[in-house]
Amino acid sequence: MSRLRIERRRCTPPAPGARLRRDPRAERLGVEPRSAPSTPGESGAPGGRIRRDPRAVRGPTRAPAPAVPAPAALPRRPPVENPDRLILAVPDLEEGRLDSHDRDLLGAARLLADSGRGVVVVLAPRGAKDDFGRAGADYLLPMAVAPGYAPEERMMAVLAAVEALRPRHVLFPDRPASGGDLGRRVAAELGERPAVRVLRLSADEAASRGNGGRSDFLRAPPRILLLAAEATDPATGALWEARPLPCIEGLPCNGWIVDEGLAATDPNAVPLSEADFIVAAGNGVTDWTAFHETAAALGAAEGGSRVVCDAGLLPRHRQVGASGSLVEPRCYLAFGIAGATQHLQGIARCERVVAVNTDLHADMVKRADLAVIADAQAVMPALASLARQKLGKSRE
Amino acid sequence: MPLDVAILLSVGRHPASGRSRRADLDARALELALRLGYHTRLHAIHAGDPAEPALRDYLGMGLKTLTVLPQPPGCDVLPALAHHLSQIKPALIFAGAAAETGEGSGMLPYVLARELKAALLPAIAAVELTGHGVAALQALPRGRRRRLSAAMPVLLTADRAAPPGRQSAFARARAGRIETAEAPANAPAETGAREVPARPKPKRLKIATAASAAERLRAATEMQAGRGQLLVQPPAEDAARAIFEYLVKEGILSVPGLVPADRRD
Repeated sequence: MSRLRIERRRCTPPAPGARLRRDPRAERLGVEPRSAPSTPGESGAPGGRIRRDPRAVRGPTRAPAPAVPAPAALPRRPPVENPDRLILAVPDLEEGRLDSHDRDLLGAARLLADSGRGVVVVLAPRGAKDDFGRAGADYLLPMAVAPGYAPEERMMAVLAAVEALRPRHVLFPDRPASGGDLGRRVAAELGERPAVRVLRLSADEAASRGNGGRSDFLRAPPRILLLAAEATDPATGALWEARPLPCIEGLPCNGWIVDEGLAATDPNAVPLSEADFIVAAGNGVTDWTAFHETAAALGAAEGGSRVVCDAGLLPRHRQVGASGSLVEPRCYLAFGIAGATQHLQGIARCERVVAVNTDLHADMVKRADLAVIADAQAVMPALASLARQKLGKSRE
Repeated sequence: MPLDVAILLSVGRHPASGRSRRADLDARALELALRLGYHTRLHAIHAGDPAEPALRDYLGMGLKTLTVLPQPPGCDVLPALAHHLSQIKPALIFAGAAAETGEGSGMLPYVLARELKAALLPAIAAVELTGHGVAALQALPRGRRRRLSAAMPVLLTADRAAPPGRQSAFARARAGRIETAEAPANAPAETGAREVPARPKPKRLKIATAASAAERLRAATEMQAGRGQLLVQPPAEDAARAIFEYLVKEGILSVPGLVPADRRD
């Protein structure tokens, strides 16, 4: 059969309609091809004969396929001239950048501003570096405040901004010990009744949860709004300018509260779903002493896959995954976890994942931001000793 | 001379049965005050109905007396409390972060602290007395704690991370006295809000901005992939160093004398 086909191919004359072929050798030597195409529809073949190309003579019969549309650049939205309303948003900027709650807050500010001809001004500590324009800010108003917890100083800065800009609404994220605290301080100072724990917001109504979670209180959006997480969607679909304004300088305040820094806490004392940093073990971990030492040296909470919790190697409340805890730490360091779907569901909201695994093709390796293909038993003691050496003095 | 400590107590409501009870956060605030020690004089204060049976729950925690400022239901209790507190002049005031009934905006401690010219420490999990003031631990998300200190007078609001209120003993609840103090009567508070039964709000799903159905399907089913730096079979020390440097770079670990790259000015 194959023989027959070979024979036939040999017998076939050169295919008609051949187009101009590249001659790499001629290109190397800098020689002109022996025959250049003269008219459309005729082309020179390597043999030097002119060949017809009937398709080129007929012209295209079908429109060319549309190219895959490139992701459209976001339209730029300069601030409205002569705005009729001004919305001041005060994000928390924990860790120095906007998180999802802050983005929702800016989305709410956008919603209130775009119900008329409004602009959004974001009040942020001087030197805050984030993409405020993409998040919905028309103007960025820096304030000169000390880093750390200084609610009185921040309150004075917000009051100065309110005095200077006369905003229609001032928005804070309602989080205890940060935005919720600051917003209530400002409201008390201004003598305003704020809407707190706002779960739903539209241009003409704010619904705040109260009465122990049994009632919603509906009213027209007051001047000061403290928004719960996910009250509105973040602003998307355009690029606002975040045009910088002159900085608000520090004002005298009663520095009654002194921040003495973060206290050392036992990471395993908090529920796993609230942990900040989790070191997790899977079936690939056999050296449990090294695992516990690594977690202790890094100051991380311990977690485990279903397999190790089923085997009794870690208590059940340490299990991560669909049938355990859905965790959202800032970093998840997984030793010897292959990454079953149920486990990956448990870490779906993690920002950063580091995986140490022997299998290059494990799903956890695909999910990881940093993947190390190595045996966990070798890496854990090395990491523990490195951490003790570098962090030891500050932890003890 | 004992230290005057005031505790502001309200009547809560059980989330499931709807019966009145001691408010959880106020019980935590009272627990913080009871743990301060013997050299304090506690003034437990409630503004409302003196005949409310749930007030006995607080007495059962170990209070001998509870002062009630009689107020009609639904009125603004702030002037009565401010008046009473300005007479006692407490060095420390404890309160829950928000009430369990009514709007529960949590504004009362802030307005009160402003009127009494007291420092306000919010979301407190633990507190102890120092020579001239208080040292407190503030509860932050993710189980972290911040150390704060302030000179007296101080108003502290209890967080859910504060120790739960101790069990109420029946005999003590019977033995405790409820005293009534004179207080100016107030007009009903005007919130200007319409109260409707709470409508549950679904948790937001991932926002799909895809244009076509195929892209939406891919967004819904595709596994979220990381940024994928990969080290294959490195020596254990190199692997450990790579992981450690990544953790420091992302600000998870803070090494003394080493600043993450994105925090440098």
